[in-house]
Amino acid sequence: MSGVTLSNVQKRFGAVEVIHGVDLTVDDGEFVVFVGPSGCGKSTLLRMIAGLEDISGGEISIGGTTVNDVEPADRGIAMVFQSYALYPHMTVEQNLSFGLRMNGKPRDDIARRVTKAASILQIEPLLARRPKQLSGGQRQRVAIGRAIVREPDVFLFDEPLSNLDAELRVQMRVEIARLHKELGTTMIYVTHDQTEAMTLADKIVVLRDGRVEQVGAPLDLYDDPANRFVAGFVGSPRMNFMAAKVVDTTPGSVTIETDNHGSARLTLPVRQAFQTGDAVTLGIRPEHFGGPDGDGTRLTVNVDVAEHLGATSFVYANMATGEQLIIEREQSRSEMGKTELTITIPPARAYLFDSAGDRIR
Amino acid sequence: MRATTRTAYGFLTPYLLIFAAFWVWPIIYSFYLSFLSTRVQPWTFNPTFNWGRLIIDPAFFNAFKNTMIILVIQVPVMIALATLLAVLLNSHLLKARGIMRFAFFAPVVVGEVAYAAVFRLMFQADFGVINKLLALVGVAPISWSSNPTAAMALIITAVTWRWVGYNAIIILSGLQSIPEDVYEAATLDKVSKTRQFFFITLPLLRPIILVCVVLSVIGTMQLFAEPFLITNRGGPGGATETLGLFLYRQGFTVLNFGYASAVAYTIAAIAIVISVINFWLGRDPK
Repeated sequence: MSGVTLSNVQKRFGAVEVIHGVDLTVDDGEFVVFVGPSGCGKSTLLRMIAGLEDISGGEISIGGTTVNDVEPADRGIAMVFQSYALYPHMTVEQNLSFGLRMNGKPRDDIARRVTKAASILQIEPLLARRPKQLSGGQRQRVAIGRAIVREPDVFLFDEPLSNLDAELRVQMRVEIARLHKELGTTMIYVTHDQTEAMTLADKIVVLRDGRVEQVGAPLDLYDDPANRFVAGFVGSPRMNFMAAKVVDTTPGSVTIETDNHGSARLTLPVRQAFQTGDAVTLGIRPEHFGGPDGDGTRLTVNVDVAEHLGATSFVYANMATGEQLIIEREQSRSEMGKTELTITIPPARAYLFDSAGDRIR
Repeated sequence: MRATTRTAYGFLTPYLLIFAAFWVWPIIYSFYLSFLSTRVQPWTFNPTFNWGRLIIDPAFFNAFKNTMIILVIQVPVMIALATLLAVLLNSHLLKARGIMRFAFFAPVVVGEVAYAAVFRLMFQADFGVINKLLALVGVAPISWSSNPTAAMALIITAVTWRWVGYNAIIILSGLQSIPEDVYEAATLDKVSKTRQFFFITLPLLRPIILVCVVLSVIGTMQLFAEPFLITNRGGPGGATETLGLFLYRQGFTVLNFGYASAVAYTIAAIAIVISVINFWLGRDPK
């Protein structure tokens, strides 16, 4: 068993609390991604699991053993750093074997581990080179190799792809996914890139200001976000939000009116009770708008900019209230050059949030 | 020449004139002087006069030996101390780091005469604080100015005190350029702090330590103020006379400019040779 459990884990820097009692269970062999905007505490949380940061409260256990007071090297973890953190004066082979040599591992064991890691990552031709003679992607492979040779119970990745260009990032993302499949080891991965989170994770942990906003499988988070923050963070381009107010309520449903042209109305099924006049936020993903003949409430918007990507287009449109909408359109060549666009909001695809940002169900 | 270039040279001219008159010309002229017999007027061209004397002059070899002793003991000790000091000054555990860094750098900005006077007082045989402290641990008074070995130790101590902070600050800048996460990676690799120092810090500091060694070698080859001021012009009996002091004595006491010039060129040549050896030994192994 090499799962990781966090119970009420807290971190304070002086009087400032940056992690507010996080509870989390990472199952054995699971690929968990911590995602959130800059400063949300995701890297701090990872470093606390690694033991590079002390914890101010709570308990961390790895493989069923509490590791609060265990040295980083004895926690059975290996970490891949954002900046690779390779030893610049050592060759790739020396980088991979340094920790093992320092800990007196037998030579043949070291050679076996290095060869295996180099073969998994296809870096055999690079073993005699120094880090400065490698490209960014190659350095990242070496950094991952250095983690592999430790044969850890848990891999920790701290934004490992953020220093790579877009193409390499996609390539390395696939390799990390393959690595997880091949090794079957528990992996915890930190990123601010929701695409990485969606594509890699078995389970995503969305963090904001040191608190867990939601934990779930990628598509569960996409389909069923717990609040406006998660709804806006998961999915690309991000979900559109429109200010609206309740104009009619019946048991089991609510009718809202947006402030857009002609006050578009929409009736949605909800269990929660509302008062007429309550302020709410309507959310809809760019890809869920319907065409002019679709079901649901019609809206006519002014096109600001349209990006045509071939198969799909992203239309940036302004509403009368000044809010901007992003609309994804497929088969949209006939709409090129239009200044106005009529779209529909299908009620089944619409999300409702209260003024505190919580999801209304 | 383009107008902008002309303007630039126009502004540089006053400096270049001074540079040429007081740097370039003396360097060239002293090389010429080293081939002249300058003991009697008029000076005559005699290439073997100074250079021939140099290779057999016991006074020159005494100064050369003294300089080498100082170099071989003082430079490694000082660089080792400076490296340790830099690590301490870089420590997060140290309070008032800014003040501490300035305090260790301060000896460089103190005037040579002032610091020499303080050292003479501290190491005075009868009432100096050093002998008093040694007496507390049962060591008999040391005659720092009349015992040749003690005088040499005094010079080495003084030079080390003066320059260790300066070198520590240079090495500190090198330490600060080593990313913190390299140490974190080593911590995760279960490498102790001591081994991190020897296997990560020292190899990464090598280029900067090499620069410090070469600068120190050049400085030691020119060493003058300390033996002149602290041990009474290289005393006792020439035991602390360095090449710099020997050059001064030949040039400005005896007024034998030709021989002084030959000594000057020899000092420069030795410094270059030692520096090249240092760079060669400290090169990046491929």
